[in-house]
Amino acid sequence: MIRANPLILVVDDDPSIRQTLTRELALAGYDAVAGADGLEGRALFEERRPDLVITDLAMPRADGHAVIAAVRRVDRTPVIVLSVRGEEEDKVRALDLGADDYVTKPFSLRELLARVRTQLRRYGAGAVPEVLRFPGLEIDRARRAVVQEGREVRLTPTELAILELLASHAGRPVTLRQIIATVWKGAPATTSDTVRVHVGSLRRKLEPDPANPRYIGTEPWVGYRFLAEPEN
Amino acid sequence: MISRLQRTRALAWAAAPLAVGLVTAGGRRAGVNPPTIESIYMVLVLGLAAWGGWAVGATASIAAMLCFNYFFLPPLGTLTIAEPANWVALVSFLAASTFASRLVATARRQAEEAQRRRREVEILYDLCFGLFAASQHPGVLGAAAARTLRAVGAETGALFLDAAEPVSRVGEERLEIDPFRLAQARETREVSTAGPGGELRTAYVPLHVGGILNGVLVARGRLASRAVLEPAGRLLALAVERERLLAESAHLAAVRESDTLKTSLLRAVSHDLRTPLTAMRLEIESLDRQLADHPQARASVEGLSLEQERLARRIDNLLSLARLEAGVARPHPEPVPASFLFRAARESLALILAGRPVEVRVEPRCADLWADPSLTLEVLVNLLENAARAAPPGRPIELAAAPDPDSPRRVRVEVRDRGPGLPAGVRRLVESPRELRPTGEAGDSASGGLGLQIARGLAEANGGALALLDRPGGGTIARLTLPAAAETELEPEPGPEEVLP
Repeated sequence: MIRANPLILVVDDDPSIRQTLTRELALAGYDAVAGADGLEGRALFEERRPDLVITDLAMPRADGHAVIAAVRRVDRTPVIVLSVRGEEEDKVRALDLGADDYVTKPFSLRELLARVRTQLRRYGAGAVPEVLRFPGLEIDRARRAVVQEGREVRLTPTELAILELLASHAGRPVTLRQIIATVWKGAPATTSDTVRVHVGSLRRKLEPDPANPRYIGTEPWVGYRFLAEPEN
Repeated sequence: MISRLQRTRALAWAAAPLAVGLVTAGGRRAGVNPPTIESIYMVLVLGLAAWGGWAVGATASIAAMLCFNYFFLPPLGTLTIAEPANWVALVSFLAASTFASRLVATARRQAEEAQRRRREVEILYDLCFGLFAASQHPGVLGAAAARTLRAVGAETGALFLDAAEPVSRVGEERLEIDPFRLAQARETREVSTAGPGGELRTAYVPLHVGGILNGVLVARGRLASRAVLEPAGRLLALAVERERLLAESAHLAAVRESDTLKTSLLRAVSHDLRTPLTAMRLEIESLDRQLADHPQARASVEGLSLEQERLARRIDNLLSLARLEAGVARPHPEPVPASFLFRAARESLALILAGRPVEVRVEPRCADLWADPSLTLEVLVNLLENAARAAPPGRPIELAAAPDPDSPRRVRVEVRDRGPGLPAGVRRLVESPRELRPTGEAGDSASGGLGLQIARGLAEANGGALALLDRPGGGTIARLTLPAAAETELEPEPGPEEVLP
């Protein structure tokens, strides 16, 4: 579908949030449509095929998880979840179901718009490039080499796999379960503590100041987020 | 009471002389030859022995031998035994009667034993069915005890669980309980019976199953044997156990239900409070953009924004604390570097801290914290916010993390300001919030008191402690002490084949 502006679908049961969000998204240069619950959201998604979906989680009739599942049945359209503090399990479940990112209510518009831009850019971009370039960091996936500020960093295969996974999802949260599923192929003995140990040693090798990470940020309750902006 | 066996014996005694006489008279009249009459006597002796037992059989065999000798063996009319063959006849009569009576007695004993066993099994089966049939309603231990007592033949009885007083008594008569035997039954877990068999007896039956003693049943009456009492005790023990489990599961179901209620209530409150806050936040930002050309109005919007953030934080704090106290949420500790918390706290207070120097000091050998990152961040943001409100502009706020000198397994995180120090009311409120609720006089000076009280609650839920100290040279130190994360074991250094080019 050829569109002048990206179309964003907002699904939230609160009318004032729907209204404010559609207005602000329009001002930011997007077209926006809004649905009041999961059922409306699903219908609008199938009818309009938006470029990005923003959905609340707790809604009457069908909740946000139903919207995510409906989108994922069709394609990889980015989904950003509006979550509430104290519902961390719901948030993690949404991410594991295929949501791409989340903001926590009450979120700031600036924060949400930044997430929207990141998601649209990723979705517009093609396959993950062979060489991932970030400020001061280069990950050559074919050569399996990591160069940081001109010096080569020696990583174990596990650390490299985690780094590649996080870096190819730059700007987006990656849950512990996703890491275990990808890096350890879901080996049953792998726990979140195992992941933390490996990420800890990865940070020590990679970060100029491991206590103040530049690349691998911690998302409390969820997992990790690659912080640096890709250069290519 | 004359038993059936005794009646049978008496009948056999009466019948024996009659039968021997009849056979003798019949044999004489018919003129039967000696070998034939001998066989008839033999059959007679066997029959009497089987009927009346060995004594009847032996007596009958002597009588038969005498009659045989006197009436049928030559010389007739004397008891002289002319031929040794006749001794053989006597001995074979005696032997036959002994064997027959023994056989019959054994068979009878076995039949009786089988009868008794069958009765015992019947009693136990009935008891089992009565105690555990599906129709049995829970909450009727008294009925179970009464049923068990009835089954073992008791007229009175009492059921003791853990306490010294019985939970239920059965029967009209007053039952004397011997505390020593009660204690003994609990101790040895063996059935103790006293009193002659078949008469009124008192038994102390321990109720134990699977190595656990569930109580003692005291039974008095014409009791069944130990072989019944023991399994009956086990059955009742199972019934008591089931009763206990049913009560437990009912309690658990109630707890679970109330947890579900609490969870959904907190969720609804959380959603309903945060949604308008989100709408406010979005409107404020929109207003801020539209007022780009009105610096004075923008200052008001910024004030609005600060207050909105404060309100959101307070609501977050209260809900976190409510969730922890309701048991709906538990802290999920993980290793958290103090510097991560400091950075995140400063980011979430960016507006309040704007233009205010903050100094961060993390000791190089300071271990990571073992804490729930969100909860700890909440505590820290509260403390930092208080410090920012208290400290005069331009005087830096310090964020410091260092190993606890009193305990190597703990880390001290401190927020230090150069404010006026804590009002006494706030300090009391934080130090003993249970005794001292905010009163009107402490209330006003205790601005920030609620935040601190929440911070203290969250810190404790997180396995830490919060203390407020006077800072040398003026100001306050808010000291949060938290467990240190264990040094994590690292992946072994890669071998040569693992090293990347």
